[in-house]
Amino acid sequence: MLELWSSGPVALMLNTLIALSSYLFGSFGLTIVVLTIIIRGAMYPLTVKQLRATRAMQALQPKIAELQKKYAKDKQRLAQEQMKLYKESGVSPAGCAVPMLIQMPIWIALFQSIIRVLAVTPEDLLGLSRHLWSWPVVYSMLPLDNNFLWFNLVSPDLPLAILVGATMWLTQKMVTPTTTDPQQRSQSQLMLWMMPLMFGFIAMSVPSGLALYWAASNVISIVIQYFVLGGWGGLARAGAGKYVVPSSKDIKVRVAEAETAPSISAMEADIVDTGSTEEEESGYGGAGDKRQLGGGGYPASLREFKSRSRRSKGHRPKRR
Amino acid sequence: MWIKHNRRLLAKVLLLLVILVIGGVTVSGCYGRSQPRGWSGAVIADDTLFLASVEGRLVGLNKSDGSRLWPVDSTLGISESGTAIYGTPAVAEDLVYVGGYNGRVYAVTFSTGALRWVYPREGNLEPIVGGVVVSQGMVYFGCSDGKVYALDAITGDRVWQSFETGDKIWSTPVIDGDTLYISSFDKKLYALDANTGSEKWVFAEAKGAIASTPLVYENTVYIGSFDRYLYAVDTTNGSLRWRSEVEVDKWFWAKPVVYNNVIYAPNLDGKVYILDANSGREVAGAVELDSPSPISSDPVVVDGKVIIASQEGKIYSLDTSNNQVGLLRNVGDDGQEIYAPLCASDGAVYIHAQSSKQDTLYALNAQTGVEVWRPVSLSSK
Repeated sequence: MLELWSSGPVALMLNTLIALSSYLFGSFGLTIVVLTIIIRGAMYPLTVKQLRATRAMQALQPKIAELQKKYAKDKQRLAQEQMKLYKESGVSPAGCAVPMLIQMPIWIALFQSIIRVLAVTPEDLLGLSRHLWSWPVVYSMLPLDNNFLWFNLVSPDLPLAILVGATMWLTQKMVTPTTTDPQQRSQSQLMLWMMPLMFGFIAMSVPSGLALYWAASNVISIVIQYFVLGGWGGLARAGAGKYVVPSSKDIKVRVAEAETAPSISAMEADIVDTGSTEEEESGYGGAGDKRQLGGGGYPASLREFKSRSRRSKGHRPKRR
Repeated sequence: MWIKHNRRLLAKVLLLLVILVIGGVTVSGCYGRSQPRGWSGAVIADDTLFLASVEGRLVGLNKSDGSRLWPVDSTLGISESGTAIYGTPAVAEDLVYVGGYNGRVYAVTFSTGALRWVYPREGNLEPIVGGVVVSQGMVYFGCSDGKVYALDAITGDRVWQSFETGDKIWSTPVIDGDTLYISSFDKKLYALDANTGSEKWVFAEAKGAIASTPLVYENTVYIGSFDRYLYAVDTTNGSLRWRSEVEVDKWFWAKPVVYNNVIYAPNLDGKVYILDANSGREVAGAVELDSPSPISSDPVVVDGKVIIASQEGKIYSLDTSNNQVGLLRNVGDDGQEIYAPLCASDGAVYIHAQSSKQDTLYALNAQTGVEVWRPVSLSSK
């Protein structure tokens, strides 16, 4: 199985990397960046799908929080209500995970290919020769030039490790949801700092070629998220105001208002704001946009997506 | 009091640290780069055999029975962890020389194993992968910094300013008369004046890096390249005599051997190519081993037989009279592999085989494959 993996996806990626470098002045650093862009571009539809599904899930969080409070003592009922909510909203929890799972093997193959092509020791170089295809360009290109910009691709580099951490923080920050639940907010904050710290830490102990791949991938993620989310997302909200944790009473009142408002569609009620001053000032439709009362927590782009989603399923959610 | 109030914060910090450590260890451990281990071949001088173990120790053995020459293998003055040694040691007068992957060259006293000198005395160069050669009181070696160094064999002082090539040097220099031949990853073969380090000529027609050590024979240098061609270069002016026409699948890594004007060139595709030394034309079809495994170990010629070792631990004998190949011995059953150059003397062939658990030197009769003496463990444990 492992051999099949090595001789299949990894070998394909590895030989493509080497062949591509022949068109990029033999610079392996440039090759890593370009191949990362190509692969991210090829998987753009999946990334968009995943991002939109994630946003839709995040937008449902206030309603889910309310359900959790309402059915705190009845787990079975809670599960049923949650499923019902997902169904009515046309949101699938798997919608976030499936595109990501499809992309995972490609990332792993790219990751392993970079490691192998960066053969440093004689053992590594001999091992690499086993995975090469009979393309003349592949044979004549090796070993590749390991110097790129200010660093050597085979050695760890502190500034690059910092860049990895910083770009990952920006990526995370853009998609970190605004939440009124202190527990969820705490988890979001933990994730926001944990991933950048972990990858920055790892980048200081692995070849810079891998760190370059992570940094390039993060920058591409930022660009994609900017266009898909229609703005800087969480980054724009960052300085928008002090976070106020609403009381449970406040949540109930606001949810009740949203549920009873006749002019609001069920879908919009599902994602009504729960009172965060922070969210009111930003929203995903664009930094600083004031939301319309009853206009829903979705940004324009997401509302459009949700509408399309429901239309495509050929039903309208029930009014409550 | 503070702890009581900040218990939640502490728990988060602790969780973060645990995740950092686990994540770091997991990714670092899984990213697959191998540690340099070395694959030193053996050299024989005065009925004594020298080679470096995988632990990075210099080992001296009596050629007659394989017993240790010194009570304790030479640690080369390096701490317990040692360094990887890929190059075959060289012997001259009363000193044994070896280069390490730690970027230092060591001279050890033949009789005692005591360290005589180290170059450089302070700091280190880039990794040294090729072997060192000694000629007329000078020690020569190539380095991963792309330079060729010449040292005084007695003192370890540098004799001439290092000659710089365009990329890493992993091959062993070859001295022929007063000319030093060395190949580089910059796809070139260099001929230097061994006394001054000045360039005589450069052969730059190869399209791939060159890791193999040149073979000098009858005013011709034979060299294999990563571009999958074998080149014959005129020693007088560096002009191309011929380039092999045969199609091969992988890199030429091992140094070829010559016998009766025929070149035997092993390849990483697991075949041995048999070419006429004058024309480069195939004398016979490529010899395929019974189970294809890369050949990276330099072969040797013993009494008309070319002894070849494949990476998977099989040793073959190729009869030059009819180009038939037969299995001489398999030492790979217990996971041992062969990367180190072979060494031959008085009808015996010496093979350094290694695995993650074993580090063994075999002495076999080149005709029969029978052990001349029992395999010797090179490990100090």
